[in-house]
Amino acid sequence: MNLEEYRTLFAVTTVGLMLTAAFPTLSLVVPFPRSAERFSELWVLGPNRMAEDYPFNVRLGEEYRVFVGVGNHMGSSSYYRVCVKFRNQSQPLPDASNSTPSPLPPLFEFRFLITDGGSREAPLTFEFLEVSHMEDSCLVRRISINDVVFSVDSPSRWDPENKGFYYQLFFELWLYDLTSRSFQFHDRFVGIWLNMTGQF
Amino acid sequence: MGALKPVTILLALLVFASTLFVFNTSALSENVAASAIEKAEGLMVSAYQAVLEAERAGANVSVLVARLNVAGEGLAQAHISYRLGDFDGAARSADLCSQIGEEVRVEAYGLRGLALEEAGQRFRWTMIGSILGVAIVVGASFLGWRIFKLRYYRRVLGMRPEVVSGES
Repeated sequence: MNLEEYRTLFAVTTVGLMLTAAFPTLSLVVPFPRSAERFSELWVLGPNRMAEDYPFNVRLGEEYRVFVGVGNHMGSSSYYRVCVKFRNQSQPLPDASNSTPSPLPPLFEFRFLITDGGSREAPLTFEFLEVSHMEDSCLVRRISINDVVFSVDSPSRWDPENKGFYYQLFFELWLYDLTSRSFQFHDRFVGIWLNMTGQF
Repeated sequence: MGALKPVTILLALLVFASTLFVFNTSALSENVAASAIEKAEGLMVSAYQAVLEAERAGANVSVLVARLNVAGEGLAQAHISYRLGDFDGAARSADLCSQIGEEVRVEAYGLRGLALEEAGQRFRWTMIGSILGVAIVVGASFLGWRIFKLRYYRRVLGMRPEVVSGES
């Protein structure tokens, strides 16, 4: 190596060391892009806080318990709303392809404020208080969710294929949007199927 | 019989008036509940924004978030009660939410101020460290280059052509 090449080597090394020394300050000034994907989680767990033993064959007057949870990976604290809705087989679910929520009114709701990387779970206890049962149809009149009584008047026809009167308790996730200053459907929902064929 | 007629009319009027009164009271409490919920929604969002700003400034907001969750529970309860027609319950829950929301908002702005001050100090010290680091690197590099150059010249000048005997 001649002297010119040594000079270049020295200059490059010096610039590298200078950048290393200046990095702590640069990292506070220059906003480095975050590569992590931003998303939220929504889940339902059974009575033992595990993904098992979900209530399915339900009866009048018995209390059932599930846990609904939300996880935040949005890069900052987020404000969520979880709407609890009840439907029979013919009533609409949220439309995932169009990001539209179910038009059914919410019965119960949760509001969670969660820090980035954090999660929150809440228990949900429900009980069928008034159900009319006919030969090929069933009518759920009143349901209690976390000790609040709701009139639902939801009829269901006998499903010959699956042999039961099926209902669904489902949860929609909404996220507060600071730009529009309102909750927006966050395109996530989960639910549990309930078979109202147990003895009344 | 003649005396009974005015009494009957009076009673009917009283019943009508009381119905109106009950209806008005109900409408009034519905309006009170609706405005309490609206106020609580606004305060909850303001508190959330304040918490976000404090978080961006580098403050630890976990305690504030936990308290806002209590306020959120109250607000959810207020909405449920309102939908079920329990306007007094809705107004009570909304007022509780408003109270917590306002407290959290004030505390969040305080925390944000502290965090910004700490961040400013941290930035100053980091900058001083970086400037010192860069100065040391530049100085050491300059000095190193001078020494290296001197040695290099000495080595090059020390090289002399040698005549080896026995070669043509």
